[in-house]
Amino acid sequence: MKVGLRMARRAVVLACAGASMWALAAGATRAQEIVIALGSEPTTLDPQIRQDGGERAVNDNIYEALIFRTPKGELVPGLAAEMPRLLDPTTWQFRLRAGVKFHNGEPFTADAVVASIARMLDPAVRSENLSYFSTLVRAEKVDDLTVNVVTKAPDSVFLSRMYWLKIIPPQHARSPGFATQPVGTGPYRLVEWVRGERVVLAANPDYWGAKPGVQRVTYRFVSEIGTRLSGLLAREFDIISNLQPEYVKRAPKIGRVPALEVPVVIPNAISGVTADARVRLALNLAVDKKAIAEKLFGGFASVSDGQFISATWFGHDPTINAYPYDPAKARALLKEAGAGGAAIELVGTAGRWLKDRETVEAIAAYWQAVGLKVDVKILEFDGYLKRLFDRQSRPQAIYVSHANPLLHADRTLSDYYHEKGRGSSNKDAELAALIERARSETDPAKQAEIYHMVMKRAHEQAYFVTLVGIDVLYGLSQRMDWTPGVDGKFLAKDMKVTR
Amino acid sequence: MSAGFLLRRLGHGIVVVLGVTIVVFIVTRMVGDPVRVMLPIDASDEQRQAFAHHLGLDRPLPAQFADFFAKLARFDFGESLWQRRPAIDIVLERLPATLELVLVGMALALLLAIPLGVIAALRPGRGWDRATVSLSLLGLSLPQFWLGLLLIILFAVEWGLLPTSGRGTPGHLILPALTLALPATGRLAMIARSSMIDELNQPYVQTAIAKGLPLRRVVGLHALRNAANPVLTLAGWELIRSLAGYAVVVETVFAWPGLGYVAIQAIQRQDLVLLQTVVFVVAIMVVAINLAMDLVYKAIDPRIQLE
Repeated sequence: MKVGLRMARRAVVLACAGASMWALAAGATRAQEIVIALGSEPTTLDPQIRQDGGERAVNDNIYEALIFRTPKGELVPGLAAEMPRLLDPTTWQFRLRAGVKFHNGEPFTADAVVASIARMLDPAVRSENLSYFSTLVRAEKVDDLTVNVVTKAPDSVFLSRMYWLKIIPPQHARSPGFATQPVGTGPYRLVEWVRGERVVLAANPDYWGAKPGVQRVTYRFVSEIGTRLSGLLAREFDIISNLQPEYVKRAPKIGRVPALEVPVVIPNAISGVTADARVRLALNLAVDKKAIAEKLFGGFASVSDGQFISATWFGHDPTINAYPYDPAKARALLKEAGAGGAAIELVGTAGRWLKDRETVEAIAAYWQAVGLKVDVKILEFDGYLKRLFDRQSRPQAIYVSHANPLLHADRTLSDYYHEKGRGSSNKDAELAALIERARSETDPAKQAEIYHMVMKRAHEQAYFVTLVGIDVLYGLSQRMDWTPGVDGKFLAKDMKVTR
Repeated sequence: MSAGFLLRRLGHGIVVVLGVTIVVFIVTRMVGDPVRVMLPIDASDEQRQAFAHHLGLDRPLPAQFADFFAKLARFDFGESLWQRRPAIDIVLERLPATLELVLVGMALALLLAIPLGVIAALRPGRGWDRATVSLSLLGLSLPQFWLGLLLIILFAVEWGLLPTSGRGTPGHLILPALTLALPATGRLAMIARSSMIDELNQPYVQTAIAKGLPLRRVVGLHALRNAANPVLTLAGWELIRSLAGYAVVVETVFAWPGLGYVAIQAIQRQDLVLLQTVVFVVAIMVVAINLAMDLVYKAIDPRIQLE
């Protein structure tokens, strides 16, 4: 027995020593090498088929698009040499950057653009991202460095779409290993992907743009936030994704992108008590948005200014103010509309978005405080989507959270403001007409004007119970220097190791 | 033990695996719509229909069912909806990590629990016994989730001795295996203790001691063997529970790339094909463990008749 114990003790000591030597050895070579812990592993590294946070975090460093965004969000030429010209209302002409090569040596030319669009639209590829690009018809090569992109109708969101479309190498994209061996034009190339364990990228020595400082990036996949944070504190990780507000104080440093996620409650403006605009306004006035931002999100959220889009998205109207917190007026409005003490069903889900259930419960409490009877229904995600997408009978009030990667109002408006949108709960033909008019308006100034009209009308009608814009938070190690851009892309080329 | 017994048990096993597979097939198809979860909100109805058609989800349930079993007979589990590669490849890729964790964790639990329980049984009510009982109660009441995070904070963050998460070196295995083992150790030690106490009170033990056999021989050879059956029964149950339950929690906490993570993702993303495959493989292992346990009983206690 004693011998056994001694041996066991020795084994534990040896194993610990071995592991810490491993950690030391890893530390010595870490100068310009960083480790990023993501919440989920990419399911594929094919840049075209999936809406997948893990895939995007990695591929945004490998692949590039014709259009880039500055950290502030402005659209600028990327793989395009300059911004495209409109030849006619449905044809955009790009001049391409010369001398760019894919990581495997394939040249970047008009053929790559043609292949990227053709593959995205190919039904056999079954891209889950198709809805972002369904306005495109095809791309035509003019010469090696000139390409025309044709859209079905005048498309005012075109530039944002081109910022979202990753350019693939035409030869390699046909190989069966494409999904596990990504090859782009970007500042980093893939070294290895060990499924379940890590993805490793290395700086691309032939990169056409400014050479990145960080030479090697290792991605690890840790779904539990407590473990991600521990890894950060143990200096195994330099950056962790999806830091929660309550852990901010424990992280050595943080990075934040303001209001990338916008939650909202959509009341049913078609039938039931909420069909009365006064009731919908009362639902807004009853909720203390500031308290939600501070208490629930630890201050890492800002009160939404009465719109279901974020201030950094195109179409946002800065002149609209947030609905104030005025429970007395809410009570008065409810009484006036004959809805005092009415019962309201509030549908939500749990565990899908940051503090989704807590937010719904807080709203229900505020509504109850002004005398309503709130029936909270927290459904599992698929059951929840079934209610959200049900066009026959709209839920009386339903919580949704929305992030719009195109940073352009059209997508949000088409889905939630337009009377035919999959998630909308109104029958406002005038509003729908405005949204459609804006979509085909290619002059950005005029388009913004129409969007502002949409925003004002929806605000007056209180089609949404607006809440807060939630900041996306990252935990950073002491030695990291990184300010994420407004689009929330995880770009290693913008990161610096300070010591 | 007869060949008839083995054949019968194999038959039972096949019935169990098929039964579980059928139930999972029907339940997963009744509760949800994978296309709804997979595509973004603005995907058009045509896109949704095209997806459902490609995945064969637009066909009547009996047709899907027949197709599924026809393929299963050829060990073709189909392609994961979520990863778009054969589901069985994903499961087999992850299985070694789970087996490594569960087997090491259970071996650790037995190695700790049996000596603890036996020594405690020798002097019931005394210091060592009380300490063992208290520690066992503590071990089996700790939520694994919390225990894992506690071990990470102590061994990785505070003392810097072990990595926080992941797989690769033996050092990576220590904390997850310990987290899996400790609650099981508590339960196993309690059972080992009580069945040893029962055995030590048997007349044959008293006789053996009275006729002057050394205590070590009486306990280690005669009593332990007879007391082993309840411990093994529980150990088999622990192994099954770990494989089909506890490992999911431990793998999540330690980012251990096993089946548990895949199972959770498959449920969240409504990946019916992958979920079925995971359940099928786990069901086979559960049946195999049960059969193995029967054979071990027989080996330890020849009085047991396997019929």
